[in-house]
Amino acid sequence: MIFIAIVLGCIVGALIGVNMPMISYTYSGYLAIAIIAALDSVFGGIASTLKKNFDLKIFVSGFFGNAILSILLTYLGQKLNVDIYLAAIVVFVGRMFNNLAIIRRYYIDKWTEKRQKSKKVEVKETTKK
Amino acid sequence: MNKKQIAITLGVMCFLLTIAICVQLRTMSSASSTVSQTLSDNGLRDEVLRMKEKYDNTYSELENAQKELEKIRQEATQNDSTAEAKEQEIRENNILLGNTDVTGDGVEVVLADATVTNSLNPSYQIIHFGDIQDVVNELKNAGAEAIEINGQRLVNTSAITCEGNIIKINGERVGSPFYIRAIGSQSLLYGALTRAGSYLDIIREYGNTAEVTKVDDITISKYAGSITYEYMKEDK
Repeated sequence: MIFIAIVLGCIVGALIGVNMPMISYTYSGYLAIAIIAALDSVFGGIASTLKKNFDLKIFVSGFFGNAILSILLTYLGQKLNVDIYLAAIVVFVGRMFNNLAIIRRYYIDKWTEKRQKSKKVEVKETTKK
Repeated sequence: MNKKQIAITLGVMCFLLTIAICVQLRTMSSASSTVSQTLSDNGLRDEVLRMKEKYDNTYSELENAQKELEKIRQEATQNDSTAEAKEQEIRENNILLGNTDVTGDGVEVVLADATVTNSLNPSYQIIHFGDIQDVVNELKNAGAEAIEINGQRLVNTSAITCEGNIIKINGERVGSPFYIRAIGSQSLLYGALTRAGSYLDIIREYGNTAEVTKVDDITISKYAGSITYEYMKEDK
């Protein structure tokens, strides 16, 4: 259910995005950092749904808040001549890996459980015979 | 929190995210496909792209302002015969100054660097700014009314300069092949450039390309810059 919604959102987004007007090159750096922040939020959202502690308010505020904050920090960094966006990328990508690891573990656990269950069933069936 | 709500929110977020990614991808692919290895090169490229964008924006603003001015001028002169005459005068002056696109019959001269090296001195085998100047002088002498070189309109403030290994006209760099287009009496212009011992013959001698063709209905674009003055005053 959740993954159908995600895939549907991605497809519709791609279709609309292809026909959207281009933004100017000056702002593409800000959009890039916002994309990274939003991507991190989405992976965080998926991971928390799997862990069953998903909070809509935290998720939505994180999605927009992180994106806007990272844009502001990048802007500040440009004014101060410090590449703050590098720090933002390190943090967001690090968290993305964490969340992906959570998602991976969840599915590996599920998979091994299933296999063990089916093995047990097989063993039971063979012993019955 | 039910599952449906979670699914819808995640879907909407992904939707926004993919839109942003698509826009970003398209912007980057249109900006430039080459990413340099060094940071300083990338910075310079960034700077150039920003400047270009700024220039384009300002230029389009200028064009809009000019259109607006034209509109206001027309509105102001609608019911006034003396103003109409003045309007006509302004239009004529703009044509003479090179502030408008103009069309007419004329000639096109193509100058290009030699493709085969057969001279000991390679300097002879490229078109120099002096060659262009000489051709332009020849055209002006023959009564050319509007001249354009590779899209750069020649006006009274135009300069054809040599800046190291590039040629600049109106401060914009131009490169070989040079398409010099001029509006004027076709036979006079053509005759001046093709007469025996004309400047094109000298250019051709070293293997460079120099061709003249009569072309009907040439459109010559207007001067992209603005002509201003600061120091001169009218002498009474």
